[in-house]
Amino acid sequence: MTVTLPKQTFPGRIVEVTLPAGEGGQSVSVGGQTTLPLMPEGEQPNAASIGIEVRTGDEELPPSLARALSGKGTDPSAIARSLVRECGAQFLFLSLAGCHPDLGGHTISRGAGIVRDVLQAVPCPAIVGGCGEEETDALLFPAVAEAAPRPVFLSYADEKNYRLVAGAALAYGHGVVSWSPIDINMAKQANLLLRDIGMPPHRVLIDPLTGGLGYGLEYTYSIIERIRLAGLSGDAALARPILCHLGDSWKAREAMDSTEASWGDVVDRGRRWEEATAWACLAAGADLLVCRHPDNVRTLRGIAGTPWR
Amino acid sequence: MALTALEIYKLLPKTNCKECGFPTCLAFAMQIAAGKAGIEQCPPASDEARETLGAAAAPPLPKVTVGSGERAVILGDEVVLYRHEKTFYHPTAFAISISDALDDDAFGERIRRIRALSFERMGETLAVDMVAVRCDSGNAARFARAAAAAKEGAGLPLLLSGPCEALAAALPSLGSDRPLLSPPSGEEEAGARLAAPLGLPLVVRAKGIDGLERALNAARAAGARDLVADPMPASLPEALAMSVYLRRLAILARVREVACPTAFDLGNGFPFPFAAASLLVPKYGSLLVLDLDDPADLFPLLTLRQNIFTDPQKPIQVEAGIYPVGNATPSSPVLITTNFSLTYFTVRSDIEASRVPARLLVADCDGMSVLTAWAAGKFSGESIARILSESGIAGAVSHRTLILPGMVARLSGKIEELSGWRVLVGPQESSALPTYLRRLPPAAFAPPDV
Amino acid sequence: MSDPGTGTIRFLPQGVSVPVATGETILSHAIRAGVPLLSPCGGEKRCGKCRVIVAGEAAGGNDPGILSGADLRAGVRLACRCRPSGGEDITVTVPPESLPAKLIAYLEGRDLAEDEPFLPLHTATGGRNPLGVALDLGTSTLAGALIDLVGGRLLARTAADNPQMSCGEDLISRIVYGEESEGGFALLRQLLLSGVEKVIAALLRSAPADGEIVDVTAAGNTVITHILYGVSPAPIRHPPYQPVFREYPVRTGEEIGSLAASSAPWRLFPSLGGFVGGDIVADVLASGMHREETVSLLFDVGTNGEVALGNNEFLMACSSSAGPAFEGGEVACGMRAYPGAIESVRIDPDTLAAEWTVIGGGKPLGICGSGILDLCAEMFRAGLIDRAGQFVPRTGAPFAETARGRAYLVASAQQSATGSAICFAAPDIKSVLRTKAALCAAADSLLAAVGLPRNAVERVYIAGGFGNFLDLRSALSLGVFPPFPMERYVPLGNASLAGAIGAIRSRRRWKEALALAAAATYHDLSSDAGFMEAFQRALFIPHTDEESYRTVLSPGGGR
Repeated sequence: MTVTLPKQTFPGRIVEVTLPAGEGGQSVSVGGQTTLPLMPEGEQPNAASIGIEVRTGDEELPPSLARALSGKGTDPSAIARSLVRECGAQFLFLSLAGCHPDLGGHTISRGAGIVRDVLQAVPCPAIVGGCGEEETDALLFPAVAEAAPRPVFLSYADEKNYRLVAGAALAYGHGVVSWSPIDINMAKQANLLLRDIGMPPHRVLIDPLTGGLGYGLEYTYSIIERIRLAGLSGDAALARPILCHLGDSWKAREAMDSTEASWGDVVDRGRRWEEATAWACLAAGADLLVCRHPDNVRTLRGIAGTPWR
Repeated sequence: MALTALEIYKLLPKTNCKECGFPTCLAFAMQIAAGKAGIEQCPPASDEARETLGAAAAPPLPKVTVGSGERAVILGDEVVLYRHEKTFYHPTAFAISISDALDDDAFGERIRRIRALSFERMGETLAVDMVAVRCDSGNAARFARAAAAAKEGAGLPLLLSGPCEALAAALPSLGSDRPLLSPPSGEEEAGARLAAPLGLPLVVRAKGIDGLERALNAARAAGARDLVADPMPASLPEALAMSVYLRRLAILARVREVACPTAFDLGNGFPFPFAAASLLVPKYGSLLVLDLDDPADLFPLLTLRQNIFTDPQKPIQVEAGIYPVGNATPSSPVLITTNFSLTYFTVRSDIEASRVPARLLVADCDGMSVLTAWAAGKFSGESIARILSESGIAGAVSHRTLILPGMVARLSGKIEELSGWRVLVGPQESSALPTYLRRLPPAAFAPPDV
Repeated sequence: MSDPGTGTIRFLPQGVSVPVATGETILSHAIRAGVPLLSPCGGEKRCGKCRVIVAGEAAGGNDPGILSGADLRAGVRLACRCRPSGGEDITVTVPPESLPAKLIAYLEGRDLAEDEPFLPLHTATGGRNPLGVALDLGTSTLAGALIDLVGGRLLARTAADNPQMSCGEDLISRIVYGEESEGGFALLRQLLLSGVEKVIAALLRSAPADGEIVDVTAAGNTVITHILYGVSPAPIRHPPYQPVFREYPVRTGEEIGSLAASSAPWRLFPSLGGFVGGDIVADVLASGMHREETVSLLFDVGTNGEVALGNNEFLMACSSSAGPAFEGGEVACGMRAYPGAIESVRIDPDTLAAEWTVIGGGKPLGICGSGILDLCAEMFRAGLIDRAGQFVPRTGAPFAETARGRAYLVASAQQSATGSAICFAAPDIKSVLRTKAALCAAADSLLAAVGLPRNAVERVYIAGGFGNFLDLRSALSLGVFPPFPMERYVPLGNASLAGAIGAIRSRRRWKEALALAAAATYHDLSSDAGFMEAFQRALFIPHTDEESYRTVLSPGGGR
């Protein structure tokens, strides 16, 4: 008896989203698939895309990251250029954490200036993250939207601030990252609000909030699976590519602590902590990953960089 | 082909006799539909009911047990493709390899390293489950000695990987421990004849689904019962595809011939073992053999396993305790809320938005939100007063002022009476916290007058 | 002014007739006839709420933009634009949704299942007239009916506030009060009894001179029934969260503590669980859903928001703890449906200002449940709030910045009777959304628990006084109920009282109530993992699964 391979097909398709590049750069397209991740079935026009975070602001880095990012200086443009060249990141996540009053207190114009400089220095596609402080971001997003020399994605819009962020995106031709706190219904609600305000589907990415390994990863994992299944099964508002920012994995004590000898070397362990988070997200359905460690970008690109047939 | 509660109900006597322990037949039917009760609990059930509901309950993926006693490892016995549909029951087993070609010192060192792969996290011990003894020497007697030494040194169930001749040599000293036998591809019939008389579990190795089907049938024909399938993938994409296909065949298509737990050898030069393990833990790998022994690699993998195999039906909750937000000092405000994940997350993020550093006391309320917990008596004047005295918050701050969620303002008197703390009633809605916190006068958090 | 040779216009169900005045609209005839008819825009032909069913010759009022094809074929017209053709008699039926809410809402109820002639079974002592009293013991309102047990006639109905309100607006608060205050439960019982005695005294004013109460039935939720019975309901609030009684062995009025009906046996409707009580059993009894093959849902829209699902094979009920927003509670400008309450609202799409009708006319004091529902639905329709209920900045919109944040100005200080503006602020919208989400999610959870799809539900009964007068369109626009086609809804009014009356009239009906309660399954939503998710999904206007609402709200109205 020959056993038929149980391939799964779905009636829906994830919207294809393209993150544009500057001159000489390579744009990134994600989405467009009709099937579950990493399986040789259905249509999968795009592989997952792996990006690297460039972060402004004062922060103590975990040992593993400190080692990887040492010697790159403090100029975001130089750091960005160096990282992209070194690990082949396909896009940048430029985090303006420095504009947060507790992490540097950069002015709005300095933040906007960083965006302009980095995008001019590096032609790859970019997502720009606010500082996480509500009142600052209310001024930062419009400034960034105006200053960016080419279309970017603004991270992030949620139920509370979507008018502001989507407004800035619509005014200047950018995309938005639609954020919700590990809840499939809130993810759909955020997307419906964005739709109501006129945001076109191909300029929206879903960020379901990625809990770090050991600190909520399983919630993220299941929400991503559910979102992807819903999108493939015909729920149009959830048929969007999913972005996983792996930054939370670095907050784990296990990723940072260098005192416990039985836990192995912290430089390797920290990197592996982020890598395991990344693989779990890819298995669930992530289309874009934002890494902080350049070695992980290399590893992930090397293995998952092309669609699996 | 799961039946709905109503469909099950129609098969029941509908007398509400309560012999099953549930108040009505419909309530019982709901429990059966949820997999939490069985038709055998209903003495007056009809034969038709027993047949229909008994059959529907048979597990699609059989269980295979390796080892015995406390450290026994259970493989298989799963019912869903996605953990959110119910849960995954049996965590992926990790077997760390050891070669019989190592000299005594190296062997001992390897055993020591395997034993060190044990970590404490969140009140649980995460450790590898088995030792996989590889016959690299080609010598049956040497293999037998190595197997015995591994059992002695590691105290874990064993996977024995080698030609049947070597396996046969190792069995006499191990037989009663129920090791998992893993002969090379092509030796499944001989392997079955070794395993069957002792009732031992057997790994059947063959390329591809068709190859596996033939090999599994051959092993069954030779008398073996507890089978584990290894589809011998050559690459990571192939491993993942095979693992997914085999699980779909068992659960969706109910093809019994290939419905087995799966095993993957990610050692012996398999490419990208860490990535492969990270993918196969959530994607249906029942047993993974690894050559890796670095805690920096295993700790994250075991944590990933811990996460994926948590029961998602328990409400998402965070651990109770004191959570500092921002750079909290001894005079920073103290707020309290429940440990329902969404509640905690929302309140915390609103405190962060206020830019006022504070401490958030999280009360264990079984993952309920503030109002639900209060209505259920889990968030009360007494329980909050107890937290104030037992959590250690008194040592972390110099003041004795607590901010209470506005929704349970009525508890303030009781809390003050029982704890001696002063209670400020916060806003009804968490979203009003930024304004509220910013307007608080610092004098509210001065140390109490002596 | 009537012309000779013109016909009459007869209004149903009121049974009032007036001569036709040519050229006048049906609405103006109604006003002259004293027939209440909703018209928040004041007859300005803008709101579409004065729907009536016309049998006879009439012209106009057939706007295709507001009325569907099915509506028009059924004779539905807008009274403000429809004029009798004259020379003929016409009949105009005012459907429930076009009636303004009144306190009478708490009394009128339909018993659909009552189908048998009355058998006089009672005798009173010494040849006196035997009387029966049926009581509905609500969280906020106590209602009663007096029945003549010789002929089975309804003699009187009355309602009053439940005096326990001073110990807590909701049931949990009352239990907590009882547990934590010295003599708390004794006081709660005393307050309840005083309220009940007042109701009975008011009823007796309509009694024949020689009347004696020989039979009493009472339907109330479990907490209140326990208190009346003299038992502390505290166990409901603590593990294992079980009530002390499900069935209440009959006691005399004297044992209960009643003077006015001391010798009569008091039959208290059985409870299904801690928060689903005899009032729901009485609702189900009155609806008749327990006798039908088709599956029905029943909503009791009150503070506790109970929902029941079933047919002649099964019955399941739950309490959603919806909250009192639809009774005017929890909303700052909310009030019960008394004179002075804004009962219907419309927002002009251009000026964005609100227009409303007030119970009893005159200046408004606040807004009652049906008005609150209309207001929220209208704010969404006018684009003043988004799907999450958050205000949308719109130029020219009458927003005010109040101590509770941004608010929509319903009535200015000059327009209101209190001299203070009537405003609806963001926390009020949140309360309404939470209440409606709890109701909707409770229904969806029951369906999921037994494994039925939404389209298996053939009829949706709405019990609770509010139910007769809510605008179904507003309710569906907001997403209070799951998206069943509109014609499946059946308002029952105070079905709890109707069920209690039925049980007084017929022993068989009482036994039916006991039987259906014994066979019913109580579903605890707090342990239903799907309920929280269903609740989150329903916290959107009308719902996160919005596609299904679009069909029922389209002019076609669903089938």
